Amino acid sequence: MENLLAARAQMGTSLAFHIVFSLFGVGLPLFLCIAEGLALKTKDPIWLLLARRWTKASAILFAIGAVSGTIISFELGLLWPTYTKFAGQVIGLPFMLEGFAFLLEAIFLGLYLYGWNRLSPRVHWLCSFPVWISGLLSAWFIVSANSWMNTPVGFVIRNGQIVDINPWHAILNPSAPYEILHQSLACYVVTALVIGAVYAVEILRGKRGDYYRKGLLLAMGVGVIATPLQLFSGDLNARFLSEAQPVKFAAMEGDFHTEKGPPLRVGGLADPTTGQVYYALEIPYGESLLVYGNITGEIRGLDAFPKQDWPDAIPYVHLAFDAMVGCGTFALLVAVLFWFLFWRQKRRLPEQRWLLVGMILAGPATIIATICGWLVTEMGRQPWVISGFLRTRDAVTPAPWVSVSFLVFVIVYLMLAITLVRLLLGVMRQPLPQIQSMEEVYQIEAKESAGV
Amino acid sequence: MTVALLALVLIWIGFIAYVVLGGADFGAGVWDLLASGPTARRQHEFINRVLGPVWEANHVWLIFLLVGLLNIFPVAFSAFMSALFVPLSIALVGIVLRGAGFIFRAYALQTEEFSARLWSRVFSTSSLLTPFFLGAAAAAVAGGHIPLSNITPADLLFGWITPFSLAVGVMAVLQCAAVAAVYLAAEARTNQEEEFAASYRIKALITSGLVSALGIVCIALSVTEAPWLWRGILTQSFVFVGITMLMGLLVLITLVTKRYRLAGFFVILETAFMLISWGVSQYPYIIPPTLTIEQAANNPQLVTTLLIVMIIGMLLVLPALLFLYSVFKWGPPVELPGTTGGGEQKRGSN
Repeated sequence: MENLLAARAQMGTSLAFHIVFSLFGVGLPLFLCIAEGLALKTKDPIWLLLARRWTKASAILFAIGAVSGTIISFELGLLWPTYTKFAGQVIGLPFMLEGFAFLLEAIFLGLYLYGWNRLSPRVHWLCSFPVWISGLLSAWFIVSANSWMNTPVGFVIRNGQIVDINPWHAILNPSAPYEILHQSLACYVVTALVIGAVYAVEILRGKRGDYYRKGLLLAMGVGVIATPLQLFSGDLNARFLSEAQPVKFAAMEGDFHTEKGPPLRVGGLADPTTGQVYYALEIPYGESLLVYGNITGEIRGLDAFPKQDWPDAIPYVHLAFDAMVGCGTFALLVAVLFWFLFWRQKRRLPEQRWLLVGMILAGPATIIATICGWLVTEMGRQPWVISGFLRTRDAVTPAPWVSVSFLVFVIVYLMLAITLVRLLLGVMRQPLPQIQSMEEVYQIEAKESAGV
Repeated sequence: MTVALLALVLIWIGFIAYVVLGGADFGAGVWDLLASGPTARRQHEFINRVLGPVWEANHVWLIFLLVGLLNIFPVAFSAFMSALFVPLSIALVGIVLRGAGFIFRAYALQTEEFSARLWSRVFSTSSLLTPFFLGAAAAAVAGGHIPLSNITPADLLFGWITPFSLAVGVMAVLQCAAVAAVYLAAEARTNQEEEFAASYRIKALITSGLVSALGIVCIALSVTEAPWLWRGILTQSFVFVGITMLMGLLVLITLVTKRYRLAGFFVILETAFMLISWGVSQYPYIIPPTLTIEQAANNPQLVTTLLIVMIIGMLLVLPALLFLYSVFKWGPPVELPGTTGGGEQKRGSN
């Protein structure tokens, strides 16, 4: 495999793998915090049991998130030394802030996961706050570094030298608010709908009871708030992109030609050699309506830009974008239907088979949506690694065996993924203990945390 | 003192923290690999319990080290990563498998026996390999084997392999094992497991002795293999090298007299002075003999900003870290019901 392609493949695989864990790393602590807080407030041991079961899954997800994040920080240098030389001079600040946020998260996570019987209930609960707050801050910092690659500011190139560096300006680059909001919400959408999917499986298998009811209500409650906000933030993002990154936007929408009042092309094969989108469902004026709110807006197509600046994977960028929107919309539909049925059935959990199947599908769909979203933003930025300043092919390492290391990492990731899924299923299948009081839940902690 | 040098001092403190905390976790993995006989299973459980709450926080110091270099010395970071692609990639795989292996085995202990045994081996083997390759990579820096440009494939494959780097790699493994053995002995005593404490005391004595011997070999090798380092030792850091040796001696004395907490204190100082000696010997180079700290540093204004962020960050993190250790390491031992009984019925011999 060619070096550049191997390096891109390794980086892409690593990011896709890591992102799934960071979603839960940011999302789950909020659920732990809410559930344990409710337990302390209502003295209802079911909430505490929920927090305890989620803690078990968290420990393993966080550990894999931490190691896969380490891979990324090494790979930035190992695979893209020229990129780090450039980016390190300007956008190092968020990496450093992220490092501290991560350190705080790891410290309080250790206290939370292993401190069930060493800390008082209140202090233990308080430890969940720094975890979810620094998790959210980590996401913020690291996404701001990524958004800087899309809209690099905060420096000037003079005589081939990077000068007038302003790291705060760089960190607050134009794309940052849009990308950060979108990714942060993604964490909560995914965590909520995946927890929802897990309990939908249990209910479909005939499990009933207060435990599943409370778990589902909390998950779908967060889901029904976060998902519409996410679609809204996605809309803001797309409009911003049409101005700030028109090439990426044109590739996303499959616009090869500059048009007035272009249709919305849903799906289809965008063929860069012919400049046509085949088999797409076209909604007349749809794209113009979405971007400008009228049917006469002009959208710059790819033909307005030199071909050497086109992304090399236009058909995938377009499809990934549509897949992301489709999966997100599906998740919203499921969350809304859940609550609609819940209220219509006088606050009884909906047990319709079709809805439960929908919920089971919506969980993985949100993960797919997140990965597709990152494919759009990363592949859509090509051929640049730092938009307009450094091309990806100029940033890659000269080391000749990247395809070997790609292969090694793929094997490692496969091993990790298989084991992880098996162990998480094992955690899920452990029978619920019969508990009557809060004290009993703490007793379980004591017995179980010894082994973990 | 320039801001760049000040920032490097902070990064170096983070490096020391990584070695005395994260390094000890690797060392515990080495002892896990060597655990055998009828108490092997109990030793695995003991190590699970000791590492569980702290290993992730300990690991993050490595991230701090990486982002510190990336931010303050981007040119040097880029050169390290290009030239050390092979050893660092191997170490990276080791870091990943160590963490994953540790958590997977802790979980699998409750469910599946085969998986537990497999990941146990993955955890302990990668705990052995990682410090070796990180140590060898560090020695390649000290030995002046980091070309700034025109790296040939032969350089990439073999450039970092010298007698000096191999010796330092082995020494890194032994030092991690020694630090871990001292901590484990202290921890075993706190938990009133005198049998373990005695066994780790012997292990600590042996490995500390070996480290001292190998340290002298490494210094001797540096005369020809890492001449800049050797010159630095003679002119700049001989005092620190002396203190390192003194601390090594104090570790041995406190171990012989069974004062494990004190031994832990001295072994931390020994490791710290070892790394300080290296840093001072190499001054003013970040990549000997071609790139100085000042040449590699980002522009001073930016470094000042980063330095302030680093100091504020440290001030936030340190109290939290002390709280973590006070709860799990310095607090009274908590009697955990089922600590030795909970998993035992489900598992066979290991």
